[in-house]
This record gives sequence, structure tokens and C-alpha cells, in this order.
Amino acid sequence: MAKPPLAGIRICDFTWVWAGPYCTLQLAHLGADVIRIETKTRPCVTRMLPPWPDGKFDSLNKSGYFNQYNQGKRSLSLNFKHPEAKEIAWRLIKQSDVVVNNFAAGVIEKMGFGYEAVKKVKPEIVMISLSGYGDTGPYKDYVAYGPAQVPLSGLSSLTGYKGWPPMHAGFSYADPNAGVHGAFAIMAALYHRQRRGEGQYIDMSQWECAMGLLAEGILEYTMNGREPERNGNRDPWMAPHGIFRCLDLPEKITDLTIDQWVSIICADDAEWARLASAIGKPELANDLRFKTLAARKHNEDELESIITAWTSARRVADTVAELQAAKVAAAACADNKYIYEDSNLNARHYFVERAHPEVGTRRHCGMPWRLSESACEVKAAAPCLGQHTEEVLTGLLGYSKSEFEALKEKGALD
Amino acid sequence: MAGALSNLKIVELGELVSAPYCSKLFADLGADVVKIERPGAGDRARTRGPFPGDTPHPEKSGLFLYLNTNKKGVTLDISTRDGFALFEMLVADADILIHNVIPVDMDRVGLSFERLHARNPRLVMTSITPYGLNGPYRDYRAEDMSLWCAGGVCVLNGGGAEHPELPPLKTFGSQSGFQGGVHGAAATMAAAFVQLREGIGQHVDVSVQESITSQLEMTFEFWPYMHTVATRLGQKPIQPVETMECKDGYLYLCCIEEHQWRAFVEVMGKPEWADEEIFKDRLARGANWDVLKVLLQEWVSQQTVLDLYKKVQARRVPFAPVSTMGDLLSSEHLKARGFFVEIAQPLAGKHRYPGAPLKYQRTPWELRMPAATLGQHNNEIFGGRLGIPSARLEELKAKGVI
Repeated sequence: MAKPPLAGIRICDFTWVWAGPYCTLQLAHLGADVIRIETKTRPCVTRMLPPWPDGKFDSLNKSGYFNQYNQGKRSLSLNFKHPEAKEIAWRLIKQSDVVVNNFAAGVIEKMGFGYEAVKKVKPEIVMISLSGYGDTGPYKDYVAYGPAQVPLSGLSSLTGYKGWPPMHAGFSYADPNAGVHGAFAIMAALYHRQRRGEGQYIDMSQWECAMGLLAEGILEYTMNGREPERNGNRDPWMAPHGIFRCLDLPEKITDLTIDQWVSIICADDAEWARLASAIGKPELANDLRFKTLAARKHNEDELESIITAWTSARRVADTVAELQAAKVAAAACADNKYIYEDSNLNARHYFVERAHPEVGTRRHCGMPWRLSESACEVKAAAPCLGQHTEEVLTGLLGYSKSEFEALKEKGALD
Repeated sequence: MAGALSNLKIVELGELVSAPYCSKLFADLGADVVKIERPGAGDRARTRGPFPGDTPHPEKSGLFLYLNTNKKGVTLDISTRDGFALFEMLVADADILIHNVIPVDMDRVGLSFERLHARNPRLVMTSITPYGLNGPYRDYRAEDMSLWCAGGVCVLNGGGAEHPELPPLKTFGSQSGFQGGVHGAAATMAAAFVQLREGIGQHVDVSVQESITSQLEMTFEFWPYMHTVATRLGQKPIQPVETMECKDGYLYLCCIEEHQWRAFVEVMGKPEWADEEIFKDRLARGANWDVLKVLLQEWVSQQTVLDLYKKVQARRVPFAPVSTMGDLLSSEHLKARGFFVEIAQPLAGKHRYPGAPLKYQRTPWELRMPAATLGQHNNEIFGGRLGIPSARLEELKAKGVI
């Protein structure tokens, strides 16, 4: 195997929360040396969010949320109230290929590390800001938090049960979406730099980056002047197209009943005929109520009741296996426990377990791709806050051991 | 200024969303993309719409037209011997092949990295498949929603604790395809960087399921860290983080930090609420949400969306409107940034589309041409680029190969 794609590329990472860390996680997966600049006075929000191994917040290093999205990165902790902290950051920028931040527009400039300043020191730098609203425009100073970006994008007004108010996506979808688009953009800019020797600045608005995802809704409006109707889990071109109840999880994990669901879709009449046979009602394939897509759409409530009557007496894993054996697109509506145990993800060695000094060895999600020739691996568990401060200062930035101790004494290191 | 990727030659064998979105990200930065479609029907996205006037037409699908800008289009049946031979010629001359042919069909037509790589050792081949190229689900059937479920996000959305009888709810559109596409693009870009620096090609195996599982926020870790199943039925621990109805639409309330709550109650003219014991911090507001919700809804329902949004944002509180499509198209902010672009295509006409996802200062995102009509560039690519004589092309056409 050859070295990883981004071997030798260093990322000066000013990001926090989710969008930015998700971006630099992709780069770390691909072999870049990602150095996160952190501070103890304002730690990354995700260091203070659950889950925690003992169910309580007693350390900045124990959050499963932080530990998921910062695998393989190094942590440098600085106190920016101290002038020498800035000098340390500048030394890091000089040794970096890319600077990433996801503050609101203008914040990185106020810190003194705006593109114009950085470019003077390092003209070939690639720099990206993944802000909520972008660097220009009347709302450029607006604040954006992950959960609010889903409704802002337009996705919520399109998502929901028929006749019900708009719904969310259930997670801060615009954040990772911005992060992975940002990772692609950084590599495209590095590619250009490799060929032409020029760096550049990239202005990303998380809002804009999410709007391509709803192109179908936007085009419904621009082509037909109409807001699309929310329509639950149904699809205009396929039926059935739904999520059906299975037997609840038999194990007791807490007092709560854990419900289980299966997604079943038939893309055409032949698939419907196979489903009808699989649920023991082959005669329904030619039943006039269900024979064609138009008929199934017309009688979709009835169609869904028939399927539910079959699924509701079955365990989800068995349902998926039986229907897939009949070549029907069935899938478990997987919760986190199901994902943890998922035979496909495990067989593909998707999960990563690396030793961590405070949480031990826990399972995390890994890379969604495999490269046949470039060795990619998660180098280490997510860093404890400031874990690599000494290593980065004395190993990379050229400070002597005694200079490092003096900076620590003075309070420049957080 | 040419786009950042203007030297890359890409062949796309893509249907619906994942591979087409992946190669669109390259095409919009200047790459030369040739998209291969099945003769006759073409890409399945052509059947999905939306269509102007709701009349289905293969050249007028909004989804297809959005996903295939800046690409040249040819038709080719690679399941025939002649078709596969032409395909191999195209790929021999390309830097990257991006496809989403499912493994069972790859086997059937003989589409393999080894075979193509033997003729073109620099080739990067990206296979975006539902569950990846190995593993027990390799040959499972999947549509877009299947993978939104199998990846673990769908279970997080829906009626919540108040309506446990309602099923988990999919997010609008073809989100699995988009996520498979953009994660695939990141991995492909990395492989292209290796190709540029070291001259070697490789096979990139992208699983759509894993692309989704990679973005479960904090919920996956609830099992390995706390042995807790996290679904849509959980109560939100902090509030307000919720959609509410105003006089003229919906607004998303979002007070995560304490200073945001204090600013919001001042905007409401109820500063004393900040001192109420039952609302004193975000956890208390989560625990007493049943009471707080009623009080907030009463006040919010008297407000208009844009006015309240601007008022609280002036105090740095991150509320956001629940944007309708009309709101997006008329947004003063998006207008000032020039986000939407107008694309005229001969049959579908002129419409506004989502534009650049990112603004590159030096190598801009660029719209060079609309999506191709079915087989539009057959002569240019097969005749011009590959040098197939026109008599032979006529013969292949008659056989249904192109």
C-alpha cells in the first residue's frame, strides 16, 4: 500500500462544534496532520455534551460526541488572551497547508487570522470558512446553530406527515453536509495548488451548501410556481414506499419499550408481485386495487394496512432477510444499537476502536470509503484537551523545552 | 480563469442521484465529464420530475437537469459486447470513472476495476453502491429511503414522544443519494490527488449506508458509551429548540446558550421569565417544556416570521425561519449573494436552479452548459474523441448499442 492521500498535508484547524470538525475529520481520515487549536476558557461545545461513560459530565475528555468527530487529530490548547499564544498560532499557520474555521463571518478576522493577514505570511495557503450564512450579504453577521440550519435550508418545510406542520430532519443535517462539501473543496483547491502553485480562499455558506439537497423542491416551485406538499414517507413514483411497524425489541434495556420499524419499497409492478408472494398473498399482485402503480397509489392506505398486518408480527431482522431473499428493497429502520450490531458494517470493518486514556476502548464510526492503494487508517482516538500542546510546540514549531515551560508558566498555554 | 479541476477527464455511469451528484461536483469545477446513459430510457432520474406543467417528459425532469449540468451525454448499452468495447475505449482515455452500478449488475456486465485498470493503470474508479462492495448486504436491493433507514438517521425523526404511533419519518427528497455522492466525491478527490502526485490509480469503494452512518451526530455513541437506545421518542433535554407557528408562517426557536434565552425574553418584553425557577436554565426549560411551550406559543403566534427573526438575530440569537421555497427564491440575502442561477435548456425552458455550494476566490464554480439531452454528444464523443467511423456508428445505432 502507498502512503495516505494527504500524507504531508497539515491542517491548522480553528473549527468547533460539528460542521468544521466533520470537515477536518475527513482530512484526518485521508492522512492529513490535523491540529485543532482549542482553549480551556471556551472548550468545544461537543466536549460538554453527552453521551458520557458514567452518564455524567465530569471531564472535558469523555464526550462520545467529541470523541467521534475528532479521531486522529492533535489538540493544541492556547490562551488567546495572552499575546504569545497568537505567536504560537502564527508559527503553526506558517507550517500548514490549509486553515479551516467555522465561526460566524468576521470572527476569524477579529482574532487576527483573516485570509488577508494569513496570505501575507503564507501566500500559497488554502483557507476556508464554513460559516452559517457566508461572508457577504445582508445576513452575514447572523448566528447559525446546527439545528436551526435544517429549517432555514428549506428541508423542513418539505418534510413532514401529510397535512401536518413542517418537521425537522432529526439531526443537524446541514452541519456534516457542509463539512464534507468543505473537505471536497479543500482537496480541489489543494489539487489546483499542486498544479499551479497558487493558494486561495473559499467562502462557504452552510445554508447554500444545503440547498442543492432540495433541488427537487426548489424546481417544483420555479417550474410550477407551487410549494410541494409534505407527504410523509410516500413517493409519487413508487408504491408501496413506507416504513412499517415490526415487533418491539424483546430485550428490556430500560423501562421504555423500544419499537422497531422496516422500510419497504417496490419500484415497479414486478417487485410488487414479489412482495405480495413474500407476504403470503400472491393473489394481490393481480388484484385490480394494486395491479398498477396508479392503482396502488390510489389505494395506498389499504395497501399499507395489509403490509403492516404482516410486518407487525415479525422481528425486523427476519423481515429484512425474508424480503431481501424475495428481491424486495427492505431495510431495517436502524437505531444506534442495531447499527452497532449491523452484520454488514461489522463485516466491512467499518467501526474503529482505539484506546483513549479516559474512556477506554470504545466503538466509533470510521470511514465510509475504502481506497485500494492508499493506506488510510484512524491513527488514534480523539485527543484530550491540550494533549499535544508540548509535542506540537517542541516537535513542530521549534520551541525548546525551556521555552515551552516558560510559555506554560506565563499562561500562554491553556 | 479555468476551474480547479479543468484538466480532469471523467466518465460517469450513473443513475438517479449518488454518482451523478458526485460527478457534478467535479464538472462544476471544470472537469470534462462524459455521462453514459442507457439507450432508449436513459437515466432513471429522467422519469422522476418535477416536470413543468406536471407532464412527464424525459428531457424536462428538474432533478435530472439539476444533477447533470456541465456534462456531455452519450448513450451506450454496456451489457453488449460492442457497447462494452466502446466503454473500455472511453475509460482507457479517462482519469476517473464514477459509477453507481450495483454489484450484482457489475458482475453481470463484467464491470471490474482489474479489467479497466489493466488498460489504464492511472485510472481512479469510484464505485458508489448501497452497502459497499463486500459484506452480507452486498446484493441487497435498495432505494433511497432504504439507505436513510439502514444508515440510522431516519429513526431519529418523526412524531416524537407525543406521537409514538407515527412511523419514523424520512427527510424530503433523495438524501441518501446526495450523501453517497458528496462523500464519494471527497474520497475520489483524494484519489485524484494521489494520481496527480504519484501517477497511480486505484479503486474507491464508497458505501452509501456508511456515508449516512458517519453523520449520526451524538446518537450512535449513546450505545457504546451509555448502553442507551436513542430514537425519535426521546424527550429533548434542553429547550426551546422547536418549530412554532407565527402569524404568517413557521419559525424555528433556538436558545441553546443561556445568554440567548435572556436576550429572547427581553425581545418578548418578559425579562422576568429569565428569573423564574422553572425556566432558570436550559435543563429546567427542557423539564418544564409543557408549560413553557404554551406560554411561548401564545406570544409567538402574534408575531410575523421575518420581523421576529431579524429582532432576535440582532441580539445574536440563532432563530431561523422555516423557509418555504418561495422564501428561498425571494430571500434578500441569497439574492445579494447571487445564489440561484438561471439555466435555459432547449426543451424544458428557462428556470432558476440552486447555484454554487461554495465560492472559490480563484477558481470559480461555473455553469458552462445545461444537462445534455439523451445521446446529444454521441457523434462528438464516439466519432470525434474515439475516432469511430460514422458508418460503424450507424451500425451500432441500428443494433441498439448506442
